[in-house]
Amino acid sequence: MIRDSKFFIENPYGRWVRDNLFSSSSSAFLTFFAGFMVIYSYRGIVGFILNPERMWTSVTYNMKLYMILAYPDEAMIRVWLSVGLALILGGLSIGFYNSGKTISLGGIFQKLFTISAVIAILIALAPTNTNVIQNDGSIEVVEIIPQDVRMLILVPSLVLTLAFFFLRNVKIKNLFNTAKVNLTYFGLIIASLYFIKIPTISLDSSGERIIPDPFLPIASTTYIPWTILYVGMLLFFFIGSLLKNRDIKIMARLIPISWFLCPLFIFSWIFKKPLVELNTVFSADIPSILVFGVIGFLIIRFSDNESVGVYRTPINIGFLVLSIVVFLLPLVFIFKATMVLLLLLLIVSPAIATTKEGKRQLFIVWVVSLFVLTFLIRGASSDTMLVTPTGSIFGGFSLTWLLAIFGTYASFPLGLALALGRTSTLPVIRIICTGIIEIVRSVPYITWLFFASVMLTVFLPAGVEFNLIIRVLILTAFFSGAYFAEYIRGGLQSIPKGQYEAANAIGMNPFQRIFLVIVPQALRTIIPTLVGSVITSFKDSSLVAIIGLFDILRIGTSVIPAQSQPVVFIGRNLEQLVFLSFFFWVFTFVFSRRSMKFEKRLGLGER
Amino acid sequence: MLGKVLKNFDIRTFWRDVRFLKWAGQVLFLILFAYSLVLFVQTGINNLQSTNIPFSFDFLGDTPGVSIAEGFETLPDSGLRMLHVGMFNMIRIMIGGIIVATIFGTLLGIARLSSNWIVEKAATALLEVVRNVPLLVQILFFQAFLLAFPRLEERDRGEIMFHVSSKGIAYPWPERQESAFMFFGFLLLTIYLARRVFKWRVSLLEKEGRDTNPFLWSFLTFLVLTFGNWAGGYKLMGIIGLISGYISAIFDSIPSIAYQGLFSAIAVFFAFRYIRKQIRNTDTGEIRGILSDDDYFRIILSGVVAVFVVLLMFMPFGQNITYFLEGDELFYKSNWGMPQFFDGVAKRFDFNISGPPVIMSYPEIVQAGTTKFTRYSPDLGKVTTVGYFATWFGVTLYTAIFISEVVRSGIMAISKGQSEAGLSLGLRRRSLLRLIILPQAFRVMLPPMGNQYLNLAKNTSLGVAVAYPEVVAVGQTLYNQEGQTLPVFLVWMIFYCSISLSISSIINYYNRKMKIVER
Amino acid sequence: MSIIKTVDVKKWFGDFQALKGISMEVAEGEVLVICGPSGSGKSTFIRCINRLEQHQEGEIVVDGIELTNDLKNIEAIRSEVGMVFQSFNLFPHLTVMQNITLAPIWVRKKSRSESEEKAMELLERVGIPEQAQKFPGQLSGGQQQRVAIARALAMEPKIMLFDEPTSALDPEMIKEVLDAMKELAESGMTMIVVTHEMGFAKEVADRVMLFDEGLMVEENTPNEFFDNPKNDRTKLFLSQIL
Repeated sequence: MIRDSKFFIENPYGRWVRDNLFSSSSSAFLTFFAGFMVIYSYRGIVGFILNPERMWTSVTYNMKLYMILAYPDEAMIRVWLSVGLALILGGLSIGFYNSGKTISLGGIFQKLFTISAVIAILIALAPTNTNVIQNDGSIEVVEIIPQDVRMLILVPSLVLTLAFFFLRNVKIKNLFNTAKVNLTYFGLIIASLYFIKIPTISLDSSGERIIPDPFLPIASTTYIPWTILYVGMLLFFFIGSLLKNRDIKIMARLIPISWFLCPLFIFSWIFKKPLVELNTVFSADIPSILVFGVIGFLIIRFSDNESVGVYRTPINIGFLVLSIVVFLLPLVFIFKATMVLLLLLLIVSPAIATTKEGKRQLFIVWVVSLFVLTFLIRGASSDTMLVTPTGSIFGGFSLTWLLAIFGTYASFPLGLALALGRTSTLPVIRIICTGIIEIVRSVPYITWLFFASVMLTVFLPAGVEFNLIIRVLILTAFFSGAYFAEYIRGGLQSIPKGQYEAANAIGMNPFQRIFLVIVPQALRTIIPTLVGSVITSFKDSSLVAIIGLFDILRIGTSVIPAQSQPVVFIGRNLEQLVFLSFFFWVFTFVFSRRSMKFEKRLGLGER
Repeated sequence: MLGKVLKNFDIRTFWRDVRFLKWAGQVLFLILFAYSLVLFVQTGINNLQSTNIPFSFDFLGDTPGVSIAEGFETLPDSGLRMLHVGMFNMIRIMIGGIIVATIFGTLLGIARLSSNWIVEKAATALLEVVRNVPLLVQILFFQAFLLAFPRLEERDRGEIMFHVSSKGIAYPWPERQESAFMFFGFLLLTIYLARRVFKWRVSLLEKEGRDTNPFLWSFLTFLVLTFGNWAGGYKLMGIIGLISGYISAIFDSIPSIAYQGLFSAIAVFFAFRYIRKQIRNTDTGEIRGILSDDDYFRIILSGVVAVFVVLLMFMPFGQNITYFLEGDELFYKSNWGMPQFFDGVAKRFDFNISGPPVIMSYPEIVQAGTTKFTRYSPDLGKVTTVGYFATWFGVTLYTAIFISEVVRSGIMAISKGQSEAGLSLGLRRRSLLRLIILPQAFRVMLPPMGNQYLNLAKNTSLGVAVAYPEVVAVGQTLYNQEGQTLPVFLVWMIFYCSISLSISSIINYYNRKMKIVER
Repeated sequence: MSIIKTVDVKKWFGDFQALKGISMEVAEGEVLVICGPSGSGKSTFIRCINRLEQHQEGEIVVDGIELTNDLKNIEAIRSEVGMVFQSFNLFPHLTVMQNITLAPIWVRKKSRSESEEKAMELLERVGIPEQAQKFPGQLSGGQQQRVAIARALAMEPKIMLFDEPTSALDPEMIKEVLDAMKELAESGMTMIVVTHEMGFAKEVADRVMLFDEGLMVEENTPNEFFDNPKNDRTKLFLSQIL
């Protein structure tokens, strides 16, 4: 038997092949069968993509349309700022949370070896010809990869493979930080923008679209902004590393908060360009900040006062009632939101503002959060100064992103509330929450979207009108909230009874017990599930295409296939869908992989 | 009693009494909830009244005046009928999807646990691709893929074996003959008998300790009986028809209201007794008065069954079934169609029927009416339309991927400790899988599997994006016609809720059954 | 002056009567050990004292406050009674320091620095000051139980309840927990201890009680209890466990 020959037993590679591919006769059969299937499908896919019938320019020409739809060109800098903010924050976090993991030069070569070997194998297996179905049903064979092209890629990649194969054993003790290596890879991608040429659209001097030179660099203007952003990211990476070395603890709190606020800030101020009248700022915002600042100061000042302590319960209840009343009254939204914040302050202040130092810190936090809240709400509630032909500045990927992020933001607290209600010991609350969760969950998302698009307006009081995006967000909040609730409930149920008893025994009240002991533990156990459902809501956000919002999918399936200017792309659906699949795939795949690594880093489930 | 409740109840400090706080909180919550609900509905009613289209279900009876692309009826005569077609289309995809997704998903899950490198990697690659692309994009891709095939032209006309075009996929299909019902009935009997034979041989094996080949025996039984069935053995089923004929005659002779009332009363009585028993059962032991979710489930289920039976008594369900079987006109009578149903059964299961149960029917490309267009013949072979294919394939593949994850983690969860225990007992690998791991893994897998089925059922609604007329698409067509958005939404809601409830009932039933076996 | 007084306390779980009328008194500074076979109601009884279980009949008075449905009384009693559980029940998401300071900060409304100082003191008292920044999952069972004792003490209770504090521990760790308890008893804390550690009972307890089937069968000084039990049930119990 060949299997028992020396090579397959003594050589490590031979043994690997023997163990993993030919461990038994059925395994050998499976190897051949699956190998054939894999190669066959790979060749089919390559043939499909390189088929001369495909018009990939329909994707590359419309890249801008995909990303931002009709966002005005003169405000383009705002898009770059938004991306830049996220990148800078990313650089800062990579620097600050750098695990210090290192990789040796040999390790890098090992990776490069794998990559170049895969490229060599792929190009060697790629088909030379593909079939084109003619209109009369006959099949024509077309050459897609000429031999010289194949050789042009195959030979260098083989050479590189060989080179890396020997290089990976070099015994150089130099170790590289993985974060820095990854940043270098990213830099290489950015650098490639300078010389890789992909056909794109370009404009002539009068701003008209012209049929372009098919080999302009990617979006002729993007490489400069990307370079600037990359440099910024690098800069903040080093700032982050510096902060880490200085051991500045406050950053560990500031960075997550910034990540949380970043999308809010981007959408309310950067991306939107809100029309803010100084008049309203002076007449509404500044007085509101002043008044609430003073109230907050008083609360903090007197929170540990003995004579006030007696009346704490009535004061708390009073504020609760007051904030419900304020919420129902037709007041400025800023007022309502700040009232909720004030309620929060009222709850935490007796526990934190016990010393002079604590009071000072709490007051600073209070004032800062007042400013941030007012700032964000002012931006979000103002009209935009940008004029777009579609009437909405959100479109394409920016809309997809908006729906995914804000859907999560809105649904998480709702889900938490519903989950707590469903696990409550109070029967009335439990039954109502269970009913809501079950009904919302048993109906598909798309019917809720139809509800948002055609029915929700019926239930709103006269005079109140939301645009479709907001209505979709409201329904999304409910829908994913119900799903979140079920996941959170799973986490809550995994908390042992002893934790409740221990919290009771040290005299905590129900709210303290839930929010200091139970919920933190429950959330910790279900972070993987929650990340999964955030990915799901990102994918689900594509459904809004059906109800007529111009998200990235709708642009791909109904805008571009109807284009006849400047190039005829009518009926070019397949290309768009392949691109969109790839696009979504990259995002969800990378996100899920990253989060898996992150979870390991957090060391979850420390019990 | 009251004294016990009010024990220690101090009127001066009642507002900090735990019991008072509990109930006050709940009542307050209830009031707030009810108030906002009423406010919501009231606004809706007011707004609807001020528009030209007041809320009404009238459209269910009116002729919609639009046709449906596919389904058991393409020109329905009422809105209700139209929704029925949509629901039926949805259920068609759901059932086909569940079966195929389960099989494919299980295979894929096992492939991912394979020790063969290439099989494992190929399965994982497929999983990572399908899982990370939105289902809607996939469905639209399959649609676009089919639409990219050439159109049907005049030169294509004629009988064919297998054909793909932008009109869909045509392939041969066994067409049901008169004797199909009897054949199927006999088949069920055959399966039952084969199972009995298997159990008998197993018990023999256990008793006598020799290899009795239970699987071979039961397979042979099945084979022999099915062969006989095909050769005409199904005529035995004619007995059912004979009995049905008598039952039909009996039902015809009793005044309908008598047995309607009687059966309803019996159903309600049994449901009541069962619910009372459940509540009493929980009245003992440590969990006094606390009903578990399981108990609630049982109580609700028995209530639903009772209501269902009562509805069945007063609704022409039997007629509807007959209608499906016979294609007769609907005729509503005061009775609920039981005579017609048994009549239909009697007709289907007749001693005089002969011939093979199914005949292969081959598709044909024909001229569409008198137009110059060409299409697949609707009566011959089977034609899968683009919308149906895209929806079904997309949903099935997507669910299969998630099922493979369920299967994989189920097997992994069990096999860790259990396989060591099994191997130490000297079991071989295959028996280990069959006797120890799979039965346990199945129990772990069942609840998440049920969730995947629920997701599949809900995902079929994406057919609306590729113009497949399932219930959401049909509903949308209807409200675009009539403007009755809210009633249509309520129909959707009720429909999907009942589908979800049915699936989770079935899953729950098996789940509980297995738990009982465990004890 | 008795600090805990119970009169005819009864408790049912469904149809099962767990406590069939327990009347007892504990004086300030006294150490009371309760033993008995499993299912005899001893755990239920001490859990009734701080309202983890609700008694249905009879009355419980702790430090002059009667335990009723009045929220104020419940809170007052809970903040005077510390409890240590069989399975430690430390909060796994918080460090040892945070575990101990959680209640002083949020319930007693003390400042963080003050509570942390106090926590370090307590950790030193139970002998594990070096573990302050670790998570409970990183500690051994005995260390966890000592943290649990420190956590209960941080509320400055007048009474400590121990619900089988050594049952979930490996034999070699029992001693360190018992030592901590012994030290606590010597400092004059009122303690009720449910335990099977007869050595501890002999050495530390002022009084020993035997519970059986929801009733208090015997109440005696430790010497009398072990050497000269009055009740046949006690003799049987002692013969089984010694």
